[in-house]
Amino acid sequence: MTAYILNLLVLISVYAILSTTLNFIIGYAGIFSLAHAVFFGIGGYTAALVAMNVTPEFFVAVPVAMAAAAITSLLLALPALRVRGEYFVAASLGLQVLAVTLFSEWKSFTGGIGGVIGIPAVELFGYPVYQPWQFLLMSLICLTIIIVIIRTLVHTSFGRSLKAIRDSESAALASGKNITVIKTLSVVLSSALAAVAGALYAFYMSFINVESFMLDTSVLVMAMVIIGGTATILGPLLGAALLMLMPSALTYLTFLPQTEIGSIQQMVYGIAMVLLMIFRPGGIVSSHPGGNK
Amino acid sequence: MSESLSTAQKAVKLVPGSGFTGSTDDQDVLLEISHLSKNFGGLQAINDVTLNLRAGIITTLVGPNGAGKTTLFNMITGHIPPSEGDVRWQGESVIGKSPWKIARQGIARTFQDLRLFTQMTVEENILTMMEPGSWLWQPGKKSRKAKRYDKVSQILERTGLVEKRYTRALDLAYAERKFLSLARIMATDSRLWLLDEPASGLDPNSYNLFLQLLREEVKEGITVCIIEHNLDIVVNISDRIAFLDQGKLLADGEPETILNDPALAAIYFGER
Repeated sequence: MTAYILNLLVLISVYAILSTTLNFIIGYAGIFSLAHAVFFGIGGYTAALVAMNVTPEFFVAVPVAMAAAAITSLLLALPALRVRGEYFVAASLGLQVLAVTLFSEWKSFTGGIGGVIGIPAVELFGYPVYQPWQFLLMSLICLTIIIVIIRTLVHTSFGRSLKAIRDSESAALASGKNITVIKTLSVVLSSALAAVAGALYAFYMSFINVESFMLDTSVLVMAMVIIGGTATILGPLLGAALLMLMPSALTYLTFLPQTEIGSIQQMVYGIAMVLLMIFRPGGIVSSHPGGNK
Repeated sequence: MSESLSTAQKAVKLVPGSGFTGSTDDQDVLLEISHLSKNFGGLQAINDVTLNLRAGIITTLVGPNGAGKTTLFNMITGHIPPSEGDVRWQGESVIGKSPWKIARQGIARTFQDLRLFTQMTVEENILTMMEPGSWLWQPGKKSRKAKRYDKVSQILERTGLVEKRYTRALDLAYAERKFLSLARIMATDSRLWLLDEPASGLDPNSYNLFLQLLREEVKEGITVCIIEHNLDIVVNISDRIAFLDQGKLLADGEPETILNDPALAAIYFGER
């Protein structure tokens, strides 16, 4: 039972990193991305590759994973952020589809459909991290650092610029803000931080394959942000916890057909999103429960 | 409406005229608009407009709806490219430049629909206008940051928004939103302000405060170009008037000349 709960907590903290980093661009910059799972995947595959071929040292594998995700996100952001918001959504969807194909077919890097197996335990200054509780501690520390970084950033001039762009792109331009650079920076930063989640996930599972990094995951993380509450620190954490706990919670409802739990879960997501949009558009944790009037 | 805005309004004593004395023709040209045209498909929104905006005065753009006044602002600030013609700011062409580059060169604008940063507080709305840098931090030491906050306080005091400092822009009353729009432009270091119907819908007290603020800024060396429909404001504030109709500049000159032209009056009031 303890192992089961620890496993859930580790996964919640990994997904909380994903939702927090996605919230940085959705909530504060108004950039809707459907490719967050791509950067999660790049982080995972890169960290696995580094661990298997160079060193499993956390402070080597994770920075390399972050750099790989940052560079990839730059390729998406530079052309796509020059145009209006909806084009970025389309471009990110395109990247997500393309990435899934690459993850499935680029066997030398990703192991193809079979994935990468036998990822060694991550090491911290030479000490391997084996125990789930150690892993939980490590992922919680990573989550905390990421929250501090994002919280600090949104209270600086950069954060104000992001919010200005979110509220009115034309007024932000008229106030002298180079919105392409600001939006690109935010996407690069968000993607690099999402790669930390990917690296943690790869090390924790010691096996990864394309199924963890598909469009479903991007949509799930977006749902975590929207249900929890955009442009808040607590919202994405709560969203991650709720949506990660839901499948387990549903299994306790014995009157539900257990073979249909997956479909029921999708229906619950959908209904929850619709109800929130109607009654609490800002999400569960919202500084303005009535939404944006 | 906030108490501070009411107090600021009561303190206003209106002086007729804009405060500028002398001939506007003698003022230096800050912005030159030469043979500017804009077509939207078959519609000629701006047709061969040549106009100079002179330093240190208030020029008012008047004309009926659809005359092309806002389109002219959009072209000057780089929000839409012209089909033909040139706009020169202090002798240098701004055509083809991004709006943010033009803004950093010293041309600021407001919008008819305000476009406030609605989810941000009043303080953040003003502060962000002083932070054009795109990187993760603003250049300068802590003292420069402190100066920015001081400037915000001064602007809030002058515009009567002190009590609303930490209120979301979305939660402001209409007049307060208008003053926030003005406060934002006051926070910039721009030399030329393009104001798109800044006083429309203001009550008389707010309107007087608005005129006083504008006069004070012009006295400090700001050049203003206003789009305005309210003839009362046009008469009260203008040093120079440019009259547009159906994309064409029909007249540009001293207010007495323009306002006393019966042909222009007939166009303005839709009698022709």
